[in-house]
Amino acid sequence: MIRGVIIMNDQGKPRLIRFYEFQLIFGCCWSILIRGLRLACGEAAGAGSKHLQNRAENVSNFVKVDSLFGPSYDHQLAGCAACVQNFCNIYFVFIFDNSENELAMLDLMQVFVETLDKCFSNVCELDIVFNFNKVHTILDEIILGGQVLETSSSDVVMAVEDISKLEKNSNSIIPSIPGWQGR
Amino acid sequence: MAAAATATPSSLGVLLRGGLYFLDTTPPDDAECLSVGVLHLKLLSAFLLVFCLLWAKCLSTGVLHLKLTVFYTGCLLWAKCLSTGVLHLKLTVFYTGCLLWTHNCLSKFSLLLSKLNITIKISMSNLRGSVGYIVTSCLLNENHDFLRLAINAVRNDIIGRNETFQCLALTLVGNIGGREFAESLAPDVQKLLISSSCRPLVRKKAALCLLRLYRKNPDVVNVDGWSDRMAQLLDERDLGVLTSSMSLLVALVSNNHEAYWSCLPKCVKILERLAKNQDVPQEYTYYGIPSPWLQVKTMRALQYFPTVEDPNTRRSLFEVLQRILMGTDVVKNVNKNNASHAVLFEALALVMHLDAEKEMMSQCVALLGKFISVREPNIRYLGLENMTRMLMVTDVQDIIKRHQAQIITSLKDPDISIRRRALDLLYGMCDVSNAKDIVEELLQYLSTADFAMREELSLKAAILAEKFAPDLSWYVDVILQLIDKAGDFVSDDIWFRVVQFVTNNEDLQPYAALKAREYLDKHAIHETMVKDFNNSNPSFHVCEDFDAHSTTRQGAAKSNLGNIQQQRAVEYHALSMKGAALMDILSEMPKFPERQSSLIRKAEDAEADTAEQSAIKLRAQQQTSNALMVTDQRPANDTQAVNQPGLVKLPSMSNVERSNAEQGATHANGALTVVDPQLPSTPSPDLLGDLLGPLAIEGPPGTGPQIEPTLASDLEDGANADALAIAPVEEQTQTIQPICNIAERFRALCMKDSGVLYEDPYIQIGIKAEWRAHHGRLVLFLGNKNTAPLSSVQALILPPSHLNMELSLVPETIPPRAQVQYPLEVINLKPSRDLAVLDFSYKFGTHVVDAKLRLPAVFNKFLQPITVSAEEFFPQWRSLSGPPLKLQEVVRGVRPMPLSEMANLFISLRLMVCPGLDPNANNLVASTTFYSEGTRAMLCLVRIETDPADRTQLRMTVASGDPTLTFELKEFIKEQLVYIPVPSVAPNPVPPPNPMTPQALPTSPPTAVSDPGALLAGLL
Repeated sequence: MIRGVIIMNDQGKPRLIRFYEFQLIFGCCWSILIRGLRLACGEAAGAGSKHLQNRAENVSNFVKVDSLFGPSYDHQLAGCAACVQNFCNIYFVFIFDNSENELAMLDLMQVFVETLDKCFSNVCELDIVFNFNKVHTILDEIILGGQVLETSSSDVVMAVEDISKLEKNSNSIIPSIPGWQGR
Repeated sequence: MAAAATATPSSLGVLLRGGLYFLDTTPPDDAECLSVGVLHLKLLSAFLLVFCLLWAKCLSTGVLHLKLTVFYTGCLLWAKCLSTGVLHLKLTVFYTGCLLWTHNCLSKFSLLLSKLNITIKISMSNLRGSVGYIVTSCLLNENHDFLRLAINAVRNDIIGRNETFQCLALTLVGNIGGREFAESLAPDVQKLLISSSCRPLVRKKAALCLLRLYRKNPDVVNVDGWSDRMAQLLDERDLGVLTSSMSLLVALVSNNHEAYWSCLPKCVKILERLAKNQDVPQEYTYYGIPSPWLQVKTMRALQYFPTVEDPNTRRSLFEVLQRILMGTDVVKNVNKNNASHAVLFEALALVMHLDAEKEMMSQCVALLGKFISVREPNIRYLGLENMTRMLMVTDVQDIIKRHQAQIITSLKDPDISIRRRALDLLYGMCDVSNAKDIVEELLQYLSTADFAMREELSLKAAILAEKFAPDLSWYVDVILQLIDKAGDFVSDDIWFRVVQFVTNNEDLQPYAALKAREYLDKHAIHETMVKDFNNSNPSFHVCEDFDAHSTTRQGAAKSNLGNIQQQRAVEYHALSMKGAALMDILSEMPKFPERQSSLIRKAEDAEADTAEQSAIKLRAQQQTSNALMVTDQRPANDTQAVNQPGLVKLPSMSNVERSNAEQGATHANGALTVVDPQLPSTPSPDLLGDLLGPLAIEGPPGTGPQIEPTLASDLEDGANADALAIAPVEEQTQTIQPICNIAERFRALCMKDSGVLYEDPYIQIGIKAEWRAHHGRLVLFLGNKNTAPLSSVQALILPPSHLNMELSLVPETIPPRAQVQYPLEVINLKPSRDLAVLDFSYKFGTHVVDAKLRLPAVFNKFLQPITVSAEEFFPQWRSLSGPPLKLQEVVRGVRPMPLSEMANLFISLRLMVCPGLDPNANNLVASTTFYSEGTRAMLCLVRIETDPADRTQLRMTVASGDPTLTFELKEFIKEQLVYIPVPSVAPNPVPPPNPMTPQALPTSPPTAVSDPGALLAGLL
């Protein structure tokens, strides 16, 4: 099962955090996790540099979560692995347990990014910051409850459009709510 | 108020405060929310802006109280904004706020949710789109009350006609998956999944939703008879639905594969269809590979069936697998590469699982061998990982060994993940034939390895060296090199182990001593080496000159060794606690982590005090030598000893004594312990416990006085003196000693609300407390640390007259390795400093342990710090004039401490220090509220005047509206400042000393007199 999805920028600031076990958000100290991931991403760069460097070509995308926390830290992600990939200056992290195929996760990440690209036409960090509800919607169309839901990005885009259409309609409904003119 | 956006910051603040107040008290009804929102749209966005600013400011100042209010208001605002559709800021603010602060304000949050509820109701009923759903699924726990309220709305959406809403509702349920949802929605979701009229979009969500509900509550969701439906679902043409169904199948099959045999041929069919790329729509082809996810999932599902029996199915499955194994090549396009290899690795796993013909297996290993030298890092990583897995599953070691050189090269890979995998693999593939090479490689690598890896590396090298050592001298060589190269990263276990080996084998001793000496003569040796050397020392009689070396080295090292050693002990302890996860460590050294952890836990609890420090060291040596007596050379053989830790000690009693005698002779600071050899049936007493609790020292009366002078002269410091003086209250154990300083624990618990109250080798009593006004709720956690149940457990509360206490019933037995909780309600009736005592007893085997523990329901727990301003303080101070409401006393013999420290002490006692009230900088003014049923909330004011010339005396004035309270508070503060051991001043209901230890009492007066704290107490 996929345990969580994290998007962060090249300074290691999380831009989207989604865990599929609610307790994880509070239980596993995700700040430690993020720091660990930041180190893992910036591994090639010198320690302490503010910006993460792009992962080098010859470095794999996988990190064991245990190694991020250090051996003695008791966390709820024991045995999980994370796959980390950067696209321009945005880092995507999927955390998943051993019931998932590692490379398939990498593929799924690619689908996610491609879908974001389609929805925002060339996605950048600001798109994610300001439209994070839309990003959540997209993610919900790809992963549901930690399982792969849909892998065809065109289907995902269609579903997301349905929902945003609904949102637009709902906003236009406001004036018709009785009572507001009364004041 | 609309002017807020343009006003200056200061006036903004005023406006805002008014506005916040207004919002906070607005009655939460729908119409109000909506209409106010829409009308004051502009106002609200202005507010929002200011709110953001304010919130950011609060964050930086860290005023929690304010933060909460702001957050709360922010949420309210959001609730209104949602209804008005101020789209831009609303969610950002709310969402960030929630994520950051939910921690602190969950209680507030639930209040708020009643308001949020309205919003969501609105958004659902009025087609407000996905926002409500997103927020709910991101922020709410499956157990949250709010969900119960939302169930109906969600259900209406699920059974409704609108597909988009169905999808949203299913997403919400699938992401949360709570019990209530499962109970009320599972049938509806199942219906959706098999209904033919639904669009695939809905059905695939229904499948995953059902999966989640089933995973979380397998007892609620009824899946009987689903095998036919699953088989039907697998005939589905739409690949999206098929992928989801396959995930569902994996979950169902993993639980009970028997019922789903009929699905197996269908899975193979699907796999065939995909592998041959028949009838796969374009959008499901990912970089030319037909839906890799479905292929992977299908093969996962197949791995849950033990075998494939039907020959036809088996044949076609192997055809497909063969096709995958042969037909995959490394190509230029990274994504295509990933996809095809994802399928390939899954196929490898399936082949391994099916235990195919030899030919196919060797083909797999050959493939893996190819992978680990490939350029693509991900594939290298996975190649190594899968090889490690393969080692566990099948007997292909010989084929893997051919790749040893390549694997060793991977240790130098630029990627740390790959290096770790390579290390794991080397560790796994090591056996007698290649151990020497591998260990030498590891040692060589150790000097260049990352720091993050060194500990693991050294542990693995040590284990391998031990497991496959051709001769023991080689083993000693390896470990000494290890310590030399990676001193900091060598865990204690390793050097304990080598000491153990050397002591057991007399022939080895000269060699080991010689080698150790060589290393010691080098200049920059590591402290671990010194430790190693020290601890081997008693057994290295052969070399006379060692003693000389040892004592000098020891002296130099001891001073700085203590803390470091403890530190490491704690770290390792945590490591060893992980148990099953560290399979490799535990399986190879079954004995050590187990015994070690109990030792370390004791060490962890001990004070970082020099006298005790040497006791820890001494005991460590003792324990090591204990273990030696029963340890065979092969660690694998002594699993019996592991299971019965009690037995390990018994035969080695004489050894303890012998080594102690040696210790006593050679080490000037070695504390002497006396163990009665005539009492072989009692377990070896805990030396540290003896030192800390001299009253409980056992042995014939004749030896008692002999010990005391030694102790008294050795331990002339405050911490110990304290323990001595307090001992009558708590220590009545007969043979089982507490392994923590109870007095110290109690004192710590007086300042904080959770921690360990008592601990001995069998049981640990933790405590967690919550205090609200004059009510308190304590929860006692009784943890059985043993593998046998504890029987005859009894807990009795002896409450003082001013506390009303009720302990729920304690069951007779605590099952092995279990923790039970006992809530305890406390009500404070009137101010008093008397203490409640918990009389606790249990039986382990034949020992009855009885402990009287003071409960930290002390005076200061009913205090609530409060800040008062000068305008409030002085009238109050003046109105309380003279005794008995205001008492003044000059206190002498105060522990000298700077004023800031005293202020900290006050804060930890829940007295709020109010700086600036008293013009004299040497004075301290504090205020607090005391709660009891008799006095209700009562303001207490304290003023301390210190003399900078003489810090040991001060004048204290305490005022409150109740004479008893004033007196008690004054005495309480005095106690804290003077630090008089509690029983000598407090009129405690001291329980009568247990008659089982009659010889204990006579020894306490001389020790009490010898310590300065008690002397001081006597004088006062």
